[in-house]
Amino acid sequence: MKLKDQVALVTGGSRGIGRGIVLALAAEGAKVAFVFRGNQAAADALVQDVAKAGGTALALQADVADPAAAQQCAERLEKEWGRIDILVNNAGIVKDDLFVRMEPEAWASVLQTNLGGTFSFCKAVAYTFMRQRRGRIINVSSVAAEHVNPGQTNYAASKGAINAFTRALAVELASRGVTVNAVAPGFIETDMSQAVRNKAGDLIKKLIPMRRYGTPEDIARVVVFLASEDSGYITGQVLTVDGGLSLGAAAV
Amino acid sequence: MPSQEEIYTKVSETLVEALNVDEDEIKPSATLQGDLGAESIDFLDIVFRLEREFGIKIPRGELFPESIFQGDPDLIQDGKVTHKGLDELRTKMPFADFTGFEKNPEVNAISDLFTVDMIARYIQAKLNGTLPPPSDN
Repeated sequence: MKLKDQVALVTGGSRGIGRGIVLALAAEGAKVAFVFRGNQAAADALVQDVAKAGGTALALQADVADPAAAQQCAERLEKEWGRIDILVNNAGIVKDDLFVRMEPEAWASVLQTNLGGTFSFCKAVAYTFMRQRRGRIINVSSVAAEHVNPGQTNYAASKGAINAFTRALAVELASRGVTVNAVAPGFIETDMSQAVRNKAGDLIKKLIPMRRYGTPEDIARVVVFLASEDSGYITGQVLTVDGGLSLGAAAV
Repeated sequence: MPSQEEIYTKVSETLVEALNVDEDEIKPSATLQGDLGAESIDFLDIVFRLEREFGIKIPRGELFPESIFQGDPDLIQDGKVTHKGLDELRTKMPFADFTGFEKNPEVNAISDLFTVDMIARYIQAKLNGTLPPPSDN
């Protein structure tokens, strides 16, 4: 087990990629607290699934867009398990719309959740990580930051900002043994991407050189790597995990 | 009120922790940047730790003044601190020792003012309540 007795905090943990990350970190021996916004049933089910597999998980209800939430979660974790080693900023939302009719609210809420949440949770753990001279921050970005889609000015801006934020924070914390990296998933089989996948059908698969969608496990394994000692000399990087989608090759 | 010696000991311990250096590297005249290898983020860490250690609040810019580094031409010219700049530093850092610096007030040498001893004197002044009132910095 690569993460035995370490403590991890994962935002947006109850479903989709986040759920996969929680399960994978727990399978490597970490105690995992995850933040969920509304789906209590999904959160309870995940806690049970982790327990069934012999792991430990704790569900924390909070909206990452609320700047006070991160500090509260970090304090709860400190009280519960007395330490924190790994932060995974995974919580993210989409509110797609063509730009000319995008409501300011759709812009603000996507930025506040995706980027603001990442900022707040990093802020809540950074000094602790600095002091203990050890810590791992993994931000979940998206290939959509660099390989953009129409209707996603807000989402692309939030994920592009996360990439830049990741690099800038990595530079500040590197001398303290804290690494900050990002994972940029392509098309992953989750609720979030379901509408697009349904609409586009096999069209998208043709754009993916590996001819399949990714699974939450595909992303989770990379997160485990970035959370473990194996990645000790990697910082400030955005690792694309997309089956080759972003290579831009046309189907042959 | 802790004695001068107690303050120095606590400051030394704080620096050992914050900068990950050996105890024997800490001398009164050791400079934080040059001798002890402190980086900008370390200065922040030192401030946080001193606040916790001594139960005090250190306003931004009080221990490590920032205004002088902002390149105001009144304060800095041709890489040197002007007379006005020197006065400003003296006012803001009554706890620093300017003896060597006055002779050749190069901007690059400002960091040499930040010594172990300077921090101890700052804490002493802070606890005695003899620091100048905070300016608009």
